[in-house]
Amino acid sequence: MIIGNMRIELEPRLSTPKWLYFAVQALSLLFAFVVGGVFLALTGHSPIGTLWLLIERGYASTKGITNTLGSATPLICTGLAAAFAFRMNLFNIGQEGQMYLGMIGSAWAGIVLAGALPGFAAVPVVLLFGALSGALWVLLPAVLRAKLGTSEIVSSLLLNYVALNLVNYFIFGSRGIFRDPSTSFPQGRLIEESARLGSFGTTRTYPTVFIAIALAVGLYWFMKRSNYGYETSVFADSPNTARYAGMSSTKLTLSVLLFSGALAGLAGSMYVVGPAGKVDPGLLQIGLGYAGIVVAALARYNFVAVILTAILFAGLREGGASLQISSNPVPISIAVVLQGSVLLFALGGEVFRRNRLRIRRVQQVSVAS
Amino acid sequence: MNSNVWILTFSDAISIATTLILATLGAILTERSGVINLGVEGILLMGAVTAFLVSDGTGNLWLALFLSVLVGVAMATIHATLTITLRANQIVAGLALVIFGNGLSQFIGKPVEGKTRPVTIEPMNLGALSDIPVLGPILFGHDIFTYLTWAGALVCSLYLNRTRPGLVLRATGDAPATVDAQGVSVAMVRFVHTILGGALMGLAGGWFMLARGTAWSQAATTNGIGWIALSLVVFAAWRPLRAIAGAVLFGFTLQVPFTLQGQQINILPPEIVQMLPYVATLFVLVMLSTPRARRLLGAPKMLGQPFVRDER
Repeated sequence: MIIGNMRIELEPRLSTPKWLYFAVQALSLLFAFVVGGVFLALTGHSPIGTLWLLIERGYASTKGITNTLGSATPLICTGLAAAFAFRMNLFNIGQEGQMYLGMIGSAWAGIVLAGALPGFAAVPVVLLFGALSGALWVLLPAVLRAKLGTSEIVSSLLLNYVALNLVNYFIFGSRGIFRDPSTSFPQGRLIEESARLGSFGTTRTYPTVFIAIALAVGLYWFMKRSNYGYETSVFADSPNTARYAGMSSTKLTLSVLLFSGALAGLAGSMYVVGPAGKVDPGLLQIGLGYAGIVVAALARYNFVAVILTAILFAGLREGGASLQISSNPVPISIAVVLQGSVLLFALGGEVFRRNRLRIRRVQQVSVAS
Repeated sequence: MNSNVWILTFSDAISIATTLILATLGAILTERSGVINLGVEGILLMGAVTAFLVSDGTGNLWLALFLSVLVGVAMATIHATLTITLRANQIVAGLALVIFGNGLSQFIGKPVEGKTRPVTIEPMNLGALSDIPVLGPILFGHDIFTYLTWAGALVCSLYLNRTRPGLVLRATGDAPATVDAQGVSVAMVRFVHTILGGALMGLAGGWFMLARGTAWSQAATTNGIGWIALSLVVFAAWRPLRAIAGAVLFGFTLQVPFTLQGQQINILPPEIVQMLPYVATLFVLVMLSTPRARRLLGAPKMLGQPFVRDER
């Protein structure tokens, strides 16, 4: 591009300095706050005051940060689910639905199985059933993709709407096992006490946060060290190379998508064993599955970085929620606006990480008169 | 069962199809240039909320629709800048657009949440044509945009297949290097058509709000119609005229749950019937994945691939 006598060029970088990763992310966040601020100002809120309050209530108080860690817990799982699949260029965007199924599956285990299990096994079994249900929900898109090459993007997304209606059916439409029989008010039946985890003291942080963090670190380590991790990264870079080397694309595709579904299902389970204790339509409102995609993209599909971006996002959410309670309430959707903007800016910023911006003065060559 | 009910259902199906056709045409134009824009759902929502807010504020239907189109253009420009100029991943950029549009439409629509639609796009009066039994109400009871949309599909089809810019567009999606060698800017062709596509998607959202919606409720407005439109592109094999047939079919699956509910026909619980459009779409996608069907489809070959001239 040439402006005046300046020529602006992008030169590919051979290596990216470490600080640039953080700089781009930090700038994206800053720009997102500017966008959020503009819309706040347009709707008659003080931009700086509101955003400051959001940060304070999301991160900078004991209550805020523990609430944030609590809601970051399932978000780490959906973030890992997205990162795990996206790294292999498999765009499973059905985490939302897989998470709902995880909630249903683990509530079923918590109601039916947990009573017959020894106390120590109840929680793990409930979590396992959630993961399995999540994997089951991605089975169809995974098989279609692996066997017929059907794009998993739209198929996994469409199933979100099916799962949404399924949860509504279990709570509002039927009087089945998931519904609390003791009241005519439509709400979920509580799972066995032995299958639930208490929170730490008076906070809203649950022990599941350690499972989520351990999963992230474990995955990071496993995918770096194991043969499987190596195969997936070869496949991601070049499916043809992987095929010539004798790796089975069907197996890799299936396993990656199913495991991604299981991670998303686990997010639903953590909601059940922790705060909800039942199939709860509250999960349908918060969009943890969609947010997981943003969290993963912002972490550049690095599993350990997912922990940080999930906490960042959960804080926006918690801070956003607290803004609703004030004399001039701000809709909680400001959090989603911020999340979307961060991702848009981070995507745009990617180009500066991969390329160097060169501005050169060009000599005006005048044709001999 | 009353036959009038089914006439009404078909009529509604054709009406809903208007939004689907507009959004699908937008996506076809975009994808034919080699850009995939998954942000349809987000653009629809932004178009819808814009139409609602503007008509609520001014009472002016045309201004409302015009601004919906502009908002669609703005959203598509974000996508084009990110994916064409800055070469970001098209899939992730599209998803970011959905999340952004989802949040922003909720945020700016909050003050009017639940409020009744201020103005309505009225059906046209086609006189004697509408009085034809059965066909009259089904085909001739719609507003002007429905008919313009059909004409639009025809225009798009002629543009793609019978004009020189249309040829360049198709070539850009299939063999950008050739287009570049001809001295045509691939980036420009892609930019223009992504934005044109966004304009159609914005209109789709605005029209849907003012013709089909009743009150502004973000959660209930588009309900996945954007994703259905993206499936429709595959169903229509990237051909504008086929989009009409597909849109009516998908419009029907969207409308049937409401008809059954209204008629108190409870073969299945309403929540299960609500799954119909999504399950039907999924079913169609599966059918289209068989190797035989795939050969007949012919997606743009370089769909989703950024074009960099001097990359070796």
